[in-house]
Amino acid sequence: MEKAVNAHMPGLVARVVVNEGAKVTQGQEVAVINCMKNELSVLSPYDGTVKKIMVAEWDEVEVDMPMIILECE
Amino acid sequence: MLKVINPGIEVIVEDWPGRLGYLGKGMAPSAAMDNVALGLANLLVGNPKGEAGIEIAGGYFEAEFGADTVISITGTDMQPTINGQPIPIWESLKVSKGDKIKFNHFGTFGFRTYMAVAGGIDVPVYLGSKSTCIFGSYGGYQGRKLQAGDIVDFGHPTLELDSLRGRKLKQDVIPQYAREWVLRAVPGPNTCSDYVTEEGMDYLFNTAFKISHSSNRSAYRLQELKEGFFAREDGGVGGSHPSNIVDHAYAMRGSLNICGNTPVLLIGDGPTLGGYMCVLSVINADLWKVGQGTPSRDFIRFAVCSQDEAVEARRAQRALFDEKSLA
Repeated sequence: MEKAVNAHMPGLVARVVVNEGAKVTQGQEVAVINCMKNELSVLSPYDGTVKKIMVAEWDEVEVDMPMIILECE
Repeated sequence: MLKVINPGIEVIVEDWPGRLGYLGKGMAPSAAMDNVALGLANLLVGNPKGEAGIEIAGGYFEAEFGADTVISITGTDMQPTINGQPIPIWESLKVSKGDKIKFNHFGTFGFRTYMAVAGGIDVPVYLGSKSTCIFGSYGGYQGRKLQAGDIVDFGHPTLELDSLRGRKLKQDVIPQYAREWVLRAVPGPNTCSDYVTEEGMDYLFNTAFKISHSSNRSAYRLQELKEGFFAREDGGVGGSHPSNIVDHAYAMRGSLNICGNTPVLLIGDGPTLGGYMCVLSVINADLWKVGQGTPSRDFIRFAVCSQDEAVEARRAQRALFDEKSLA
């Protein structure tokens, strides 16, 4: 089943710290957003495998925008 | 008291009008980014309008109450819940020891939520204010954002809790939120014809400027200016860029600083002086709108205002924080 990891704040993508195919666990940092001059960790809400990365460094994201698609059991 | 479970993005203790009288020492006033939402939250729970409350920027705050009390939530609708059940905003409600409050992210309109507690927030008054200055690491709760495990104490309410529950505001008192915030502003001190072209001033007052993602409590950065804004080719003895001038004091809060080609609105935690020109000052009565402007999403537009209009607007705003505003 596919599930999305969404941006929790608006801002710029500072970096994505996982690659496609990587296994992630709930609570693991998968990306970082620059907002309010802070670097905010985007944490995976699920266990799963990274199926698709939807954003690149310096992309502007809005809150609730999908950043990473996971394949979850 | 309140025990913090999840500190969210940026949750701090702020009062109003903050730490006044120390600009000459380089100390910002800090204070609530939206004094209207804080003031109305305090009104609902029977506090003085400037009492300290909890300012929640962005969202995701979770905490557990350690005592029975009355609270109110105002500002953007972060869909707050108590023990998983939705609760109303812009009215007061009683909470019990052990209740857990949880906030989602900021709403369709606005960016900051305020929680007032009957009796206020019991943190030390430092140089006349309970407000947190994040970059200075002073004031508020240990001079910083709240963290998981923090215990925030409450003050003592002056009225019986049962008399404070269920208080609501008149509908026309609740501020209107938007995605494009119109801020009334007095032009100056650095304007046309010495510093800015006439076309530049027209552009300034007729453009919706997008709020940058890098906006915070010190400054709201706006989209870059177009060419033809500056009347000078350089800053003379002030520097090489035409936005440079010899260092001067900034009109805090609300001065629009031109930093290179970027307009930067200086607010609560902002600098008190510097070497960039300032082209307008947002009136005090409209500063609250900046606090509700969402970085990377909302826009700011400036509207010319006279000093007399600014004084009248401030007077009208003060009248809001009165029992007459209650339904």
